Amino acid sequence: MAKLLEVSNLKTQFFTQDGIVHAVNGISYQVDQGETLAIVGESGSGKSVGVMSLIRLIPEPPGKIVDGQVMFDGQDLLKLSENELRSVRGNRIAMIFQDPMTSLNPVLTIGRQITEALELHLNMGREESRKRAIELLELVGIPGAASRLDDYPHQFSGGMRQRVMIAMGLSCDPQLLIADEPTTALDVTIQAQIVDLVERLKKELGMAIIWITHDLGVVAGMADRVIVMYSGFVVEEAAVDELYAQPRHPYTLGLLRSIPRLDLGRQKRLIPIDGLPPDLLDPPSHCPFAPRCVFNIEKCWQENPTLVTVGTDHKSACWVDISNVEIYDPSADQQNVEAL
Amino acid sequence: MTAYILRRLVQLPITVFGVTILIFLMLQVLSPAERAALYIKDIPKNEAQIDRVIKRYGLDKPIYVQYVNWLVGTVDQDTGDRVGGVLRADLGYSRTGREPVIDLLLRRLPATAELAIWSFVPILGIGIWLGIIAAINHNKLIDQIARVFSIVGYSFPTFVFGLLVLMLFYAKTGWFPPGRLSDWAVQVVSAPGFTQYTNLNSFDALLNGRFDVFLDALRHMFLPIITLSYLSWALLLRVTRSSMLETLGQDYIRTARAKGVAEKKVVNEHARPNALIPVATIGGLTVVGLLNGVVITETVFNYPGLGSAVAAAAVSLDVLTVLGFVLFNATLLISANLIVDVMYAFLDPRVRLR
Ligand SMILES: Nc1ncnc2c1ncn2[C@@H]1O[C@H](COP(=O)(O)OP(=O)(O)OP(=O)(O)O)[C@@H](O)[C@H]1O
Ligand code: SF4
Ligand SMILES: [Mg+2]
Repeated sequence: MAKLLEVSNLKTQFFTQDGIVHAVNGISYQVDQGETLAIVGESGSGKSVGVMSLIRLIPEPPGKIVDGQVMFDGQDLLKLSENELRSVRGNRIAMIFQDPMTSLNPVLTIGRQITEALELHLNMGREESRKRAIELLELVGIPGAASRLDDYPHQFSGGMRQRVMIAMGLSCDPQLLIADEPTTALDVTIQAQIVDLVERLKKELGMAIIWITHDLGVVAGMADRVIVMYSGFVVEEAAVDELYAQPRHPYTLGLLRSIPRLDLGRQKRLIPIDGLPPDLLDPPSHCPFAPRCVFNIEKCWQENPTLVTVGTDHKSACWVDISNVEIYDPSADQQNVEAL
Repeated sequence: MTAYILRRLVQLPITVFGVTILIFLMLQVLSPAERAALYIKDIPKNEAQIDRVIKRYGLDKPIYVQYVNWLVGTVDQDTGDRVGGVLRADLGYSRTGREPVIDLLLRRLPATAELAIWSFVPILGIGIWLGIIAAINHNKLIDQIARVFSIVGYSFPTFVFGLLVLMLFYAKTGWFPPGRLSDWAVQVVSAPGFTQYTNLNSFDALLNGRFDVFLDALRHMFLPIITLSYLSWALLLRVTRSSMLETLGQDYIRTARAKGVAEKKVVNEHARPNALIPVATIGGLTVVGLLNGVVITETVFNYPGLGSAVAAAAVSLDVLTVLGFVLFNATLLISANLIVDVMYAFLDPRVRLR
């Protein structure tokens, strides 16, 4: 399939009073047309900053995209003028955010917030854009759409607001929809509804999606490919089935282990990853996962591994081939120490 | 929206009622004889006069009867006339003004109103407009200047500030004279050809096409306006700036930018209406500041308005004049509050559609 987005060596930092926050440290990936790419990783790993950098939504100052290239449909988005970039935002690349309670403007009607992009990018008149807004609200499953156009965000529930956000995102028929943890702030049942909605819309409209989430369960159901981020790096990238069947990075393995799985019974229990990610103000020159890694060898403490191909459509950044290694058992080591 | 305004309008008389009770109770500090003495113009006063006044206004009756009398007046047994009653605009006789209190207040009102109206120019211009500009240019030069401006303005008591500018711009340079108009302009204004449409000199001058008189009026008002309003705009500048800064960091502003909205529209259509909601509340409070400032400002600049009349009354213990001013102020404040509430509802659909 044709490439839609190609990110290379993207680096974003925040220049704060405490020092430079190395939020995104040279990440590269690509998204094909119509593909769903999931980005997973723990809090603070640079997922949001990474995608917001794509359309330069980083607050500047303190943030700055210090290096990289974002090729979208043959153009480097990082080199566009403000005006050119604005014609991409909300039009060809749309974005929805984590918290629907705060992401909609409280003093503007829902209708106004949807029609704004239509008038801006598609040059629609008032009547036409309102008609389209009603269609969009119907599309995302808001009951009585026509009568709700002049309502304000506070008159909607959280789930309904996220539907409105999705309607806003889809209004100009984007080629790429970026969803930054769109379900995290919602109840579990509502989460499932939103996931279903996006899957249905993707089938109908065929846009590519970048879906950021903590929830590997959701990823398995809807993504084609997954990238795993840790401490501002991409540490693994693979097709979704491959990633679940054969994780090649110890951090990914840890993430997968931390999902409770009923089918595996009692022996494989939920294992949370011990320890904390490194301080982004003072990132180590060695593998950032080393202090938490059960596989670590001497080399891990000397050099940071780069992302290399380890199989078909599978990349990992790790010095150790964990598919060939017995899992290091700290308790066994403890016994050895005591034996000495 | 209409329902909301109506609801607030219904509450208005209740508040005014409360205020009248308070003012009436303040009057009770004085004994009947002392209160009676307030109504007698002749000096010296004698016992017989005082007794007559006590009887006439029922000052020896139970307190609730007195309150009703005070509100609506009583019928004078000798003449059959209705006398007194603040609701009938009879606020008593001003000893210092040598005329009924209501006449004094009404005569002095235009000069003060003119000051207050012009004060809104720097309040809105510097306070709100500069506050927004400063926030948009956070940490740039204009923001730093605004911040210094606000802090300096904030740390001066009115009388110090007033005396300072008086010294600099009147005594030293003579640029801005005190008073209300120059002598030549007074002659123009009181000449038969000049129509006093509003009694506000600056506006009347414009309506009569006398631009020179207009400039003269502004020149006289300039220092009082600055002195009267600097506390208000210093405060509003701070509030607007920080409110705007906070708003610009909100998620929905990011949403607007992600939609491709131009930065100018992001500020004007998405951020500003939200940022002005808390500003409306503070704006209402600054009206209080203006009313208080009027007394000191007019005294410092020898400006013949309500404030200087009340200051004169206060130093010679002219209780009725002062209370009349208080009642007037309270009514104004309640109205200002109402306007703020309506503005609030207008700005914030969460209030309007509750
Ligand atoms: N405006 C900012 N100023 C300073 N540092 C920032 C700013 N925004 C983000 N960061 C830092 O960048 C790093 C990456 O943040 P990011 O929001 O991308 O994490 P995330 O992976 O999206 O986490 P989460 O799952 O919690 O959303 C964090 O350490 C964060 O503190
Ligand atoms: S490089 Fe070493 S420390 Fe880093 S993840 Fe791989 S094994 Fe662990
Ligand atoms: Mg995030």
